[in-house]
Amino acid sequence: MQKNGPVALLFHALVVAFVLAPLVVICLVAFTPENTLTMPTTAFSLRWFRAVFEHPDFVTAFGNSLWLATIAASISVAIAVPAGLAIDRYRFPGRDALNGLFLSPLIIPHLVLGVAFLRLFALIGATGSFAWLVLSHVIIVTPYVLRLVLAALSGLDRSAEQAAMTLGASRFTVFRRVTAPMILPGISGGWLIAFINSFDELTMSIFVTSPATVTLPVRMYMYATESIDPMMAAVSALMIALTALAMLALDRVFGLDKILVGEK
Amino acid sequence: MGFLTLEGVSKVYGGLAAVRDVDLAVARGEFVSLLGPSGCGKTTTLQMIAGLVEPTAGRIGLDGRDITREKPNRRGLGVVFQSYALFPHMTVAENVAFGLEMRKVPRAERDRRVAEMLALVHLANLAERYPRQLSGGQRQRVAIARALVIAPPVLLLDEPLSNLDAKLREEMQFELRRIQRSVGTTTIMVTHDQAEALSISDRVVVMEAGRMTQIDAPYRLYEQPATAFISTFVGKMNRLAGVWGDGGVAVAGTVLASAPADVAAGTAVTAWIRPEKLHLRPMGEGRLAGRVASRFFLGGHWLLTVGTEAGDILVSVPNTGEEPAREGEPIGLDWEPASLRVEAGAGAAA
Repeated sequence: MQKNGPVALLFHALVVAFVLAPLVVICLVAFTPENTLTMPTTAFSLRWFRAVFEHPDFVTAFGNSLWLATIAASISVAIAVPAGLAIDRYRFPGRDALNGLFLSPLIIPHLVLGVAFLRLFALIGATGSFAWLVLSHVIIVTPYVLRLVLAALSGLDRSAEQAAMTLGASRFTVFRRVTAPMILPGISGGWLIAFINSFDELTMSIFVTSPATVTLPVRMYMYATESIDPMMAAVSALMIALTALAMLALDRVFGLDKILVGEK
Repeated sequence: MGFLTLEGVSKVYGGLAAVRDVDLAVARGEFVSLLGPSGCGKTTTLQMIAGLVEPTAGRIGLDGRDITREKPNRRGLGVVFQSYALFPHMTVAENVAFGLEMRKVPRAERDRRVAEMLALVHLANLAERYPRQLSGGQRQRVAIARALVIAPPVLLLDEPLSNLDAKLREEMQFELRRIQRSVGTTTIMVTHDQAEALSISDRVVVMEAGRMTQIDAPYRLYEQPATAFISTFVGKMNRLAGVWGDGGVAVAGTVLASAPADVAAGTAVTAWIRPEKLHLRPMGEGRLAGRVASRFFLGGHWLLTVGTEAGDILVSVPNTGEEPAREGEPIGLDWEPASLRVEAGAGAAA
């Protein structure tokens, strides 16, 4: 293991500070008793957190986002696992095209996707439909799941599957009892990253949500265009807490290095 | 009629033949090794028997039944993989029980058979551990137990000992042979280690470039290698280039042997002799004079390199408690005429 020199350590510290500082600041501001976005100096207050829950539209939007992200992440896992298996295991015509297609939503700006979906949904009369909103989110989060599933599969010892087969397991049993448990860290990591991405998504969602299906980021954006008060900071702090808890849980169960960097 | 038979089995990968027209008959209860350097087709042959690779041509029979096209999960053979291929998310007991579960063996009987098998491989106290908590030798024994618990007609071992260190490997050779003897399962082992193949097999199959070039008992393979490649691959061997002439085989002007060879006078021949068939004599005696170039002490014996007119010759001297000739000392070499094998040709060894 190579040791970092003092300059490298300072550089790392600055990068970490740069990334974390805004998050820390917004979380602190959320506890202000004032009416403006200021750092609490003398007293801490939970009034802006209370304010969030006194806005039923925020609570509904939070519920929408939670459902949307849960369903979209689950569907994308159901798509990415078989797709990953096919891309990893087989050489077939159109394999690279399929791989490219699944990754293309990463490359296309969400703004462009948003406009495109708005037009499509208007054409087929799906505007305001929750199901179609889910579908649009599935499309943008599937690439993340697919990447992690492919990484997990490439680190998989295929002979364990062969061993299961020689012991009498059918192909499906091999998948259920051996392959799936062995790539479970990749699958759950993929699900969580898909969930977070869907929960966070604003740019595209602005175009494809309706008042009935409005998501939390869209609701926050609409609120922020009218007025900026510390309630935004409180909502942000709640979102940060939720994400951090989810990542912590994932790390405890599987280890984040293992999921994101690959099998050690 | 063999219990497990391969008839004209071939495997071609994209125009390249990995295994060519292989014939083999293994008797029930026999321990057969497939020996060869990497890329000789031995693992492909094993995978075809296991059903993991489909042969391009030929027929594989098991106990009179044609299994050539049968899926691996229907063959019921026990396979031990080089990487052991244990299921990392299952305990030792769950790993071993997997094959029985697939066979829908009732819980009570399953537990009993798993316990029996773990006792056989001396792992009874580690049943609840996970593979990552085991040493290499222990994982290896779990893999063997998992393959044997289903009472397979044939046990297939793919380089089972290659990931173990030298001392453990030797122990496991005895262990493997003990387990195989006590269970009586017909076993085929793939290995590139000639010492391993010789020590535990009933018969050894040598493979070169996709072909089986000799199928014989270990000592016969060692004493009567069928090809120049086998001569040098199995055990240590001295190879001396010479000419068949008046009175015998002349190497660098010295007549070494009068062994009859079915060749015309003046043709090139190659003489082969094992290091342990050579004896040290005082200078001036013996059939060939030389000078000790280097000397290695290997415990049970000394290995000397002796520089002679015929080139450098390896000599193995048993350790009798006394030092043999020192480096630089002139000596003579002698041997029984029958231990020198002579064959026509320049003997292009691999």
